[in-house]
Amino acid sequence: MKKLVIPGELISQERKRLGNNVFVVDGKIYSKVLGITELDDEKASVVPLEGKYVPQQEDVVIGVVNRVVFAGYGVNINSFTESFIPKSAMREELKIGDLVSAKITSVNELREADLGFPRRMYGGDVVEVIPVRTPRLIGKNGSMLELLKQGTGCEIVIGKNGRVWARNGNIDLLRKVVKFINDNSYKSNLTSSVEAFFKAEGIQVNVPKKEDIVKKNVEESETMEESEVLPDAETN
Amino acid sequence: MRTTVLEYDLSKVIELAKQGKRLDGRGLDEMRDFTIENDKYENAEGSARILLGETEVIAGIKIAVDKPYPDNPDEGAISVGAELLPLAHSEYEAGPPSPDEIEVARVVDRGIRESKAIDFTKLCIKEGESCWIAFMDFYAINSDGNLFDAGSLAGLAAFLNAKMPKLDEKNRIIKHEYAGKLELKRLPLLTTFVKVGGKILVDPTYFEEKAAEARFSVATTEDGYMSAMQKGIGGSFTADEISVMVDKAFMIATENRKKLLKMVKK
Amino acid sequence: MQKQIKEIMFKVNDMSGKQRDDAPDYKKEKKRVDGRKMDELRPISIKVGVLPNADGSAYLEWGQNKVYAAVFGPREALPKHTQNPYKTVVKLNYRMATFSVPERKQPRPNRRDFEISKVLSEALDRAIFTEQFPNTEISVIVEVVDSNAGSRVACLTAASCALADAGIPMRDLVCATGIGKAFNELIVDLNKEEEDASDAVDIPIAILPNSEEIVLLQMDGLLKKEELDKLMPMAMKACKQVYEVQKKALQDKFKLSEVSEANVEANVAGKEVKEVPAAKEKVESKKDNKESKAKKVKK
Repeated sequence: MKKLVIPGELISQERKRLGNNVFVVDGKIYSKVLGITELDDEKASVVPLEGKYVPQQEDVVIGVVNRVVFAGYGVNINSFTESFIPKSAMREELKIGDLVSAKITSVNELREADLGFPRRMYGGDVVEVIPVRTPRLIGKNGSMLELLKQGTGCEIVIGKNGRVWARNGNIDLLRKVVKFINDNSYKSNLTSSVEAFFKAEGIQVNVPKKEDIVKKNVEESETMEESEVLPDAETN
Repeated sequence: MRTTVLEYDLSKVIELAKQGKRLDGRGLDEMRDFTIENDKYENAEGSARILLGETEVIAGIKIAVDKPYPDNPDEGAISVGAELLPLAHSEYEAGPPSPDEIEVARVVDRGIRESKAIDFTKLCIKEGESCWIAFMDFYAINSDGNLFDAGSLAGLAAFLNAKMPKLDEKNRIIKHEYAGKLELKRLPLLTTFVKVGGKILVDPTYFEEKAAEARFSVATTEDGYMSAMQKGIGGSFTADEISVMVDKAFMIATENRKKLLKMVKK
Repeated sequence: MQKQIKEIMFKVNDMSGKQRDDAPDYKKEKKRVDGRKMDELRPISIKVGVLPNADGSAYLEWGQNKVYAAVFGPREALPKHTQNPYKTVVKLNYRMATFSVPERKQPRPNRRDFEISKVLSEALDRAIFTEQFPNTEISVIVEVVDSNAGSRVACLTAASCALADAGIPMRDLVCATGIGKAFNELIVDLNKEEEDASDAVDIPIAILPNSEEIVLLQMDGLLKKEELDKLMPMAMKACKQVYEVQKKALQDKFKLSEVSEANVEANVAGKEVKEVPAAKEKVESKKDNKESKAKKVKK
């Protein structure tokens, strides 16, 4: 059962396991944020509709170089603090404004993230989305991402921190679709709606079968999402 | 007095508070003893120095001639300022007024102004042209908490001591000559509480302020009025807590007023 | 000439706080100068997500008051000495535009601005789960562009919506209102004329509606304790009315997305958009929304 809730709104009066973005007062469960409830017999949580990126280990993110110092680069990953990439980790010099993709290797208790495997990204454009909604852009087993690539013909890298990098292909169309998904992220059957969206633009896309995705997984190195159910984007 | 606050200090204060006790052995509703010294500063038209526990505050009044505000041409005015001098604590810095200084000055000011303690029409010299403005400034000389009540007590004492300057034919102030005292129709006093460990304490010391979740000050008069309220720091109070604090404030301020009047009338 | 001007000013600006000869008596008349009942709020409207560069934002109108609120953060707290290793620091900045008040206000912040900034920041502290973001700050900027009594409660109400819009975790929204007394009666939400009454008492108050905890409370004026006891329940009721407006504004933000879905459904069904009556109305509003949507930059 899904419901739009605001901070402080009552979600359940029953005892349940506590998921993300909820809190308990006097045995009643309330939402901490503006979001959609995920409620079943056992567990209660809220998927936020807004919010900054909370770094998680293993996430692939797209960063923008913000600062250049002697030892390295301050990189904005759309979170509460900047991350740092030492010059030794890059094969080339970076300038302010350059794009990098990287993997979060560790996060300390202050939510500061260490970045590993940094790669410079050349060309292309970045579409920003609300970070907590990026799982929808990737979809079950990467099915949504497949759809986007098919429908626009772009090379796409989705950063969990709310940045979608795309190169070549129909970037304008991609922007529109990404916005559509962003706006409707909390609705079910999103994959069909996106299929319909492309159809309305005169483009036929095929919702990929699971086996095809798994094969592609092995070939490419983008992070894929495992489930259709909106994963909890933030740990408390 | 050690000024560095250790986590240990705060936990001690909170633990004691939960048991209804305090570091200095006072009851939760007990004010510290205070003494007031009157009219020590000769350049001021009125002044007072208070020692409330280890909190030391001096207040001085300068009365000057000025043009009345266009909305109130037949009235004078008061203006209250405050400074937490770097002398008073290592955490106070010199410079333009900090939000804490501004807040404490404005709350003390409101307590006096809103109570209509001073009849501003009596401060009028010539309607539309000239009037008296009484500037009261108080300074923290040493801080062990509760600059609100200390400022309020010292300020009120200073006003009670204040003498009105005399003007010559050309409307200039004659030095060392006075025309009677500044009249006060009411004697408003602030009483300040903090919430520590869920319990309400009156007249907080420095450590108690640091350990507090919330703070509440209310100005009360001898004839049953409240003239100012200010909830401060973060945290919150319930309506019941506010009600209880207001009731206590009336009682505590009455006691303080008696003591203050004894010390001022010399 | 000077004398004439002063006479006119005295008559026009009768804000001397003295009892006007023609002052209303609310106890007798049972109606306020603007026609409201004693416990009636002025009309309030709120829109969230109006400033694309902010992490969260709201625009609020309350009577004549018009305020903007923007939230940035949580972000690194600077200067470093303001950092708190255990929680985020809420920094609210309250300012008024020079033209937002009858007599031009100096652009430089004055003492009142600093005090209001302070008490409003403190009011939000209890509402936000500050422990979740140590070493950061949440910067809340509120700007009053037009005012008529109650600008600070308008700003706090707007700020609370902006915080929710930014995804900041909170235990509850903060709902604020003014209560007090004027013209011989206890009232809710004083307007400027009432604030200037000789017996005026103005009490800005804000609560967390679920628990009725009071996070903002100030007072100006002379009041008896019994009057405060009567005002408290009126305040709770009024704040909860404000809450309903805030809640609707936050919910309304997500209704917009229904429009694009309807359009898609119509297309899929092979019909032209204008054939579907319901969708038609939505398409027209979609055009307007498109402009406002285009301004939004998703983060």
